[in-house]
Amino acid sequence: MIDTVAVAVHGLSKSYGRRRAIEGVSFEVERGQICGLLGPNGAGKTTTMRVLVGLSRPDHGTARLLGEPTRLAAGVLARVGVAIDGPAFVPHLSGRRNLELAWRAGSRRWPPPALETSLELAGLGEALDRKVKGYSMGMRQRLMLAQALMGAPEVLILDEPANGLDPGEVRALRQHMSRLAAGGAAILISSHLLAEIELLATHCVVMDEGAVITAGSLEDLLGTGSYEFDVDDTRRAEQALRAVDGVESVGTHGAQLVVCAPGREVTELNQALVMAGVGVAAVRSKRSLEEVFLGLVERNNAAD
Amino acid sequence: MLRIELTTQLRRMRSLMLFAALAGIVVIAGVTEASKAGGRGGPATFSALNFAESGLNFMDPVLFGLVIAMLGAIIGGSDRDWGTLRYLYTRPVSRARLVAGKWWALVVCCVLTVAVFLGVSVLTGLVVFGWHPFHRSGSGHLSAAAAAGAVLGAGGYVIVCLLSVGSIALALGLLLPRSAEALGISLAFLVGSAVLDNVSTLHAIIAVLPVHYWLRWTSLFQGGGRGLALGLAVQAATVAVVMATACAVLARRDPAA
Repeated sequence: MIDTVAVAVHGLSKSYGRRRAIEGVSFEVERGQICGLLGPNGAGKTTTMRVLVGLSRPDHGTARLLGEPTRLAAGVLARVGVAIDGPAFVPHLSGRRNLELAWRAGSRRWPPPALETSLELAGLGEALDRKVKGYSMGMRQRLMLAQALMGAPEVLILDEPANGLDPGEVRALRQHMSRLAAGGAAILISSHLLAEIELLATHCVVMDEGAVITAGSLEDLLGTGSYEFDVDDTRRAEQALRAVDGVESVGTHGAQLVVCAPGREVTELNQALVMAGVGVAAVRSKRSLEEVFLGLVERNNAAD
Repeated sequence: MLRIELTTQLRRMRSLMLFAALAGIVVIAGVTEASKAGGRGGPATFSALNFAESGLNFMDPVLFGLVIAMLGAIIGGSDRDWGTLRYLYTRPVSRARLVAGKWWALVVCCVLTVAVFLGVSVLTGLVVFGWHPFHRSGSGHLSAAAAAGAVLGAGGYVIVCLLSVGSIALALGLLLPRSAEALGISLAFLVGSAVLDNVSTLHAIIAVLPVHYWLRWTSLFQGGGRGLALGLAVQAATVAVVMATACAVLARRDPAA
């Protein structure tokens, strides 16, 4: 029986000297899932990814890929595509030569199974045969993605893969990853582009200060709690809504109010507005990943 | 990994320039001494083999050591400098395979360095001074065949000697954050060793310095090979200790550190 869990992290802790990087991090990613690993800078995302691919030894806890424990140069990594800490290549060799050397380093016969499709995604054209030291940041990034994808990996671990890509390239990458996930690959992707993650991910793990503060499906995460109201008196509406227990934030955009109130029904908020004599023209449920993310991080910071 | 290391290192402009500089030094020396052929410019100008032997004497230990320290430090530290080390580990390449690949690449570089130097020396000497018996100052001649054997033997001995300082540079390149730091320390060790080697009161220290034994190949041109075995043993011990230490430190170190 094939284990559906492709990435499993349990109770992971890691310190660098006295600085605690992550503590008690646990989550799982199943085959077919695209999991966004989110968090502010210094939240522990990259450390978690490094531990997952064996580049860092955890002080406590376990990390498994495709059912096998990970460590430095573990055999299972041959089935994993990795892009971590940005692109890195031998500068005086061509892009193609770099890909070939990276592939052959794993004692495998050139060419890799998904070379053509990954090169198509990279879209480097004739530049592929030029020395990498002449590449732009975006070209290096695309070459790094081609390197991660060329082996048709069963698991993809990507750290900020959209850095330096233009909108068209970001869309192409998104479509490619969706196809891979539909084919059964598990993808763990860290990014600060929350709108992109919202379009791509099926699941999310949100980290802050080295710990997981929430994890689950994107659907559950965005589920309820944020609404847009079109009102005739935003000032009075804002006062009325702030007085309602459970309202976390109220923002104003012209005649619109964006209200974040997890656990409150929209009818309760509407009733508060009506009671305050505010005319409500329309109400919509709205909760972007950005709002959820910022709300979670703010709440976590407030709890500290 | 050896093939990968050789592809990445030997295609570098820096490496190619080093080999070109080695060959250039020999050719320039030959051309400037051309008018003194027949022994008028000293022993080096008697024959192609004399020219090669003098060349070895000139290069060994500091100049050869400098070339190999540079190559060793670059081979050891280049993946860290470029940032490609993390991607090698995730291919996956084990540390043992990585270190072994780099060490064998260093062996190839040592062989190439000496082979290029001796090859160009003999060819230049052949053109400029001709193929004659080897002239030994004050003790007659060595046949051309015996001298050719001695040149090859000396070349082999120098390769092993270079491997010791190369291994030190390689190990430092693997362990230090930048290959430039590894090169600096290796050169300091090399020059320091050469200086200490002339201080006779420090015999206990000198005896364990690999550089102390580097010029013992000269005995091959005197019809013997005195002290070569001890010299080889010290070089081998240096390589073994340095590489074992590097592997032990790497095994304890967090790869992301």
